[in-house]
Amino acid sequence: MEVLGNLFNIALLVATIRTTTPILLVALGGSFTTKAGIFNIGLEGQMLIAAFFAVVGSIYTGSSLGGLLIGVSAALLFALIYAVLVVSFRANEVVVGLALNILAGGMTISLLKAIFGTRGSVVGRGIVGLPKVQIPGARDVMGSSAQLISGFTPLVYVAFLAVPLLILVYNRTQLGLYIRVVGEKPEAAEALGISIARIRYGASMLCGLFAGLAGAHMSLGYITMFTENMSSGRGFMAVAILIFSAGDPLKVLAGCLLFGFADAFSLRLQSFGFPSYLVLAVPYSVALVALFALSWRGRPKRLRETAETIRRALSVHPADAGRDAPASRS
Amino acid sequence: MRTLLATGWARTLAGQLFAIAIALALGSVIILLIDESPVRVFVTLMRGAFGDSEKIAGTLLQTTPILICGIAACIGLRGGMFNVGIEGQLFLGGFAAAWVGFAFSLPPVLHVLAAMALAVVAGAAWVAIPAFFRVRFGTNEVVSTILANYIATLLTSYFTIFLFKRPGGWSETPPILESAYLPELFSFSRLNLGLLIGLALAIVTAAFFRWTSAGYAVTMVGSAPKFAEYGGIDVRRVGFGVLLVSGAVGGLAGGVETLGVHHRFMEGFAPGFGFDGLIAALLANGSPVGTIFTALFFGALRAGSLLLEVDTTASREIITVIQALIILAVSADLIMRRRGDRTGERRWKF
Amino acid sequence: MDLAVDLSGITKRFGAFTANSGIDLAVRRGEIHAIIGENGAGKTTLMNILFGLLQPDEGTIAIGGKTMIVDSPAVAIGQGLGMVHQHFKLVPSLTVADNIFLGMEIRRNGLIDRAAQEERTRSLSEKFRLRVDPRERVAGLSVGMEQRIEILKVLARNARTIILDEPTAVLTPQESRDLFRTLRSFVDDGMTVIFISHHLEEVMAVSDTVTVLRDGRVVATKPKSALSKRELVRLMVGRDVSFDRRPRGQTNGKVALEVEDLWVRDDRQLAALKSVSLSVRAGEIVGIAGVAGNGQTELAEVLSGLRPASHGRARLHGQDILDLPPAAIRAGGLAHVPGDRMVRGVDRTASLSANMLIGRHRRAPFARAGVIDWSAVHGEMWTLIRRFDIRARGPEDPARSLSGGNIQKVVLAREFTAGGDVLLIDQPTRGVDIGAQEGIHDEIMRQRAEGRAILLISTQLDELKALADRILIMFDGRIMGAVDGAAMDEDAIGLMMAGVDPADMTEA
Repeated sequence: MEVLGNLFNIALLVATIRTTTPILLVALGGSFTTKAGIFNIGLEGQMLIAAFFAVVGSIYTGSSLGGLLIGVSAALLFALIYAVLVVSFRANEVVVGLALNILAGGMTISLLKAIFGTRGSVVGRGIVGLPKVQIPGARDVMGSSAQLISGFTPLVYVAFLAVPLLILVYNRTQLGLYIRVVGEKPEAAEALGISIARIRYGASMLCGLFAGLAGAHMSLGYITMFTENMSSGRGFMAVAILIFSAGDPLKVLAGCLLFGFADAFSLRLQSFGFPSYLVLAVPYSVALVALFALSWRGRPKRLRETAETIRRALSVHPADAGRDAPASRS
Repeated sequence: MRTLLATGWARTLAGQLFAIAIALALGSVIILLIDESPVRVFVTLMRGAFGDSEKIAGTLLQTTPILICGIAACIGLRGGMFNVGIEGQLFLGGFAAAWVGFAFSLPPVLHVLAAMALAVVAGAAWVAIPAFFRVRFGTNEVVSTILANYIATLLTSYFTIFLFKRPGGWSETPPILESAYLPELFSFSRLNLGLLIGLALAIVTAAFFRWTSAGYAVTMVGSAPKFAEYGGIDVRRVGFGVLLVSGAVGGLAGGVETLGVHHRFMEGFAPGFGFDGLIAALLANGSPVGTIFTALFFGALRAGSLLLEVDTTASREIITVIQALIILAVSADLIMRRRGDRTGERRWKF
Repeated sequence: MDLAVDLSGITKRFGAFTANSGIDLAVRRGEIHAIIGENGAGKTTLMNILFGLLQPDEGTIAIGGKTMIVDSPAVAIGQGLGMVHQHFKLVPSLTVADNIFLGMEIRRNGLIDRAAQEERTRSLSEKFRLRVDPRERVAGLSVGMEQRIEILKVLARNARTIILDEPTAVLTPQESRDLFRTLRSFVDDGMTVIFISHHLEEVMAVSDTVTVLRDGRVVATKPKSALSKRELVRLMVGRDVSFDRRPRGQTNGKVALEVEDLWVRDDRQLAALKSVSLSVRAGEIVGIAGVAGNGQTELAEVLSGLRPASHGRARLHGQDILDLPPAAIRAGGLAHVPGDRMVRGVDRTASLSANMLIGRHRRAPFARAGVIDWSAVHGEMWTLIRRFDIRARGPEDPARSLSGGNIQKVVLAREFTAGGDVLLIDQPTRGVDIGAQEGIHDEIMRQRAEGRAILLISTQLDELKALADRILIMFDGRIMGAVDGAAMDEDAIGLMMAGVDPADMTEA
């Protein structure tokens, strides 16, 4: 039993890593736009169009890398359209994002019919999935826990390694710094001759790159198929995560792990015979509850005022703090 | 959304027509790419939408839910709220109406009223929590209502399939009693009273915004919330009310669809009407009367698309592509430019 | 003559409006050259042209004796020009050093070299005696400190000519004096300073040469020693303007507004008002003086119900108002002219009528049973347009089509006719040209004569001197003291604005 329980735990963790990957990739992409001050609700569509074209590309080129490249290019094209409208034409971000999502949905279904002559989904037909990376020696050293680090598709590693990479980008590179400045204080960027438009285009394209990887991972990763609307709201969950993480890579990771776990866990629940419809609603509910809970945390006045008062009382100027903090009305 | 008043409706109309033209041109390119003739597609669409009186009735049948959902969106937009959750409110309203329709036995008119009332309450209740968090803590309503859509769809499916499945049926509830049917307008079509309800709603909503104190307050909250607050308008209460009413109208759309068309609730019962309504409202620039026309346009596209799969090789979702292109073209236009200064710093409240 | 900057014949038009018309400006190396003029006289346009943010339609620019085309700030910076903008452009989440080197980061192996940036910040700070902590985050620093960082930013780019746009608007008199001392030391080191202001006193205090702009033209360039304050005003305005005290009758009305031990927090949850007490009588104008950002806005907001108080009492005609919503306070007789008129005061996209309607949109004669009578609304707006001399084509014009001064008149017209007998007026003439200011002052005096109780918040001492019966001075959320408007001692007010307690003044 002990062993079984242990295996169950590891299996659940492995499943969590797998389910976390696409949402982590797309959320990290969204981190660029969020930091650059763009509210990008179009992640869902970028992911979906990439998933579709990854399948098409993989069939056409006969290689998963080809599929990946073509899928990512499709997402980049969507990101470019988004940037042109939002940055250059100053269109409303929400309207453009939603319209691109709808466009992606309609286009993938239309093209599905035009290319494959089917509705619903495309399976087989020579789709080449992404290879699995076996880390040599992992099995010898870690035994059965090796599956925690070995045997994933390359994009899993890309997703998790991107977290420290993004931290480095935001803190130590010019591009990262400029993205933050453009989002936080665009007039500062403008005064220093940093082109706000160029940085926002850049952020949007980086976002498209990651959303494209996420899409490719969906259709060429663990399952090699494309289904209508297969992104099923992950892009929106990513936006929810971006809202309460403000695009901070570490917080994005934490949020994505939570959703990855909710996803993996709900799949497990399904096998225990819970009604599938309710189980499928779990990740969305988790996203919604997290969104509400964390915005609630942001506000309750009395609590925050008290905390602030205490913090100030403990900070540098004890004499001042006493003066600054009147007893709040009881 | 007040730009309509500020720029003049003629300018707006010209801008929207131009946008539609661009979108149709781009749509044609996409149709060519999938190896179909744009002319044939558009002709088929026209024939499917307006070919004979039955087809026209079919168009109006599709127009009805889009129009009512569009009004729901207009109400939100005027009050500065992006209710993207109309789809979910529509599903819950549709289910609620069906439940009253099959589970209770009431006299004819009363039955319809009771079913509609519960549909409205269900729609409002579904948006109440996102609305509360929006006005109290500033939680972005776009994301919360979108996520709520997924839950609403799954929840109504669960109700339908696990709790109220028609014995022997397939993912649908038992049919509603005839006493709960919305009266049909013509013998040859399922077109029903719902259309008139939608038209009346559009006119009442327009009058509300134009001539009432409450409508004025909503408009001010939508276009300049700080100014409204300063003027003594309770911005939070108005914002909450706007979303609640918007949700209620979304629920009503579901009720009309159930009682007027399907006479039962089934899985995937009215897909996309909520989004179509939102797009119709955006294309009409938040004007309820304008939404009558944009809803008719989208209703015609939908009705026409039924023929598309029969007569051409194109999929009917090509109309979704055209709708999305229209909104993209409209959004690029001056008319819909977001307010704010040159750097466009309307930061979203998270 | 050794000129740091030489502009000649600069003309700049925006559509039909000419912002700069044939402007000649010669700034000698090693002087502090003030450019003074009213709002809208063309000062900022001229500096933006010099700095490459705008292109002139006519005229030439020479920097350091070389005639050139300055088509971007980068060119100006390359020629040793530096600009400290009126609104600071610092990024709050970054450190002082990061901010200073933003746009010219020191990099090693492609990564930003934090240590080197901090080291250079430290050496700059020592060289120019502008003390900063390079590793501190900018968020939460004082305004004076932020300005210091802005100046260091310019110095780090090797500027030899520094342009400052309205640098003292947000500073206390004490901070201003420090700034002037710093500027003087720059000039002593052979640098040049161009100083833009509409503030007579400080121009007289700090500059060597003064150029006066009016309506986009240069009306005079003179050494400061050849100018008097009164002469400067005449040059700026084009005629003698009396900032003289308005004649008035006696006041002994009943107390209409009373505030006791009021504490309020600002948006960052810091104390913005600290134990403020005051009272205003009917037929009295009580002025609130102070540098912007010392709690005046919060005072206006809390009294009009837009901001919660954390402690204390405020009574309007004896009725407690602190827990009331804005609508109830309005109904109780308080009218509020907000300081931030573009955000709070009007809906710029809405018509004048819709702007006038706010607050009375449920009341007869404008609405009956919840239905608005638009013809009555337009009719009233026509009346106000005539009475307050608002320059608009009609009631259905959108507010944004009006000039700043006329928008302010719309706000004043609405609030003065709202039926309130207590008027809370925040910055009545900010951004309004001097001609229109007189009209606004006339109207305020008329309201006083009609027995209204008026609380007048202004950062302009001249305005308070002309209008107020009593002046209370605010600093850091406290009322530092009160002076009689008739016998006002500007030095004492200045010290109190800088936070000096009047009780300590005799010793100082």
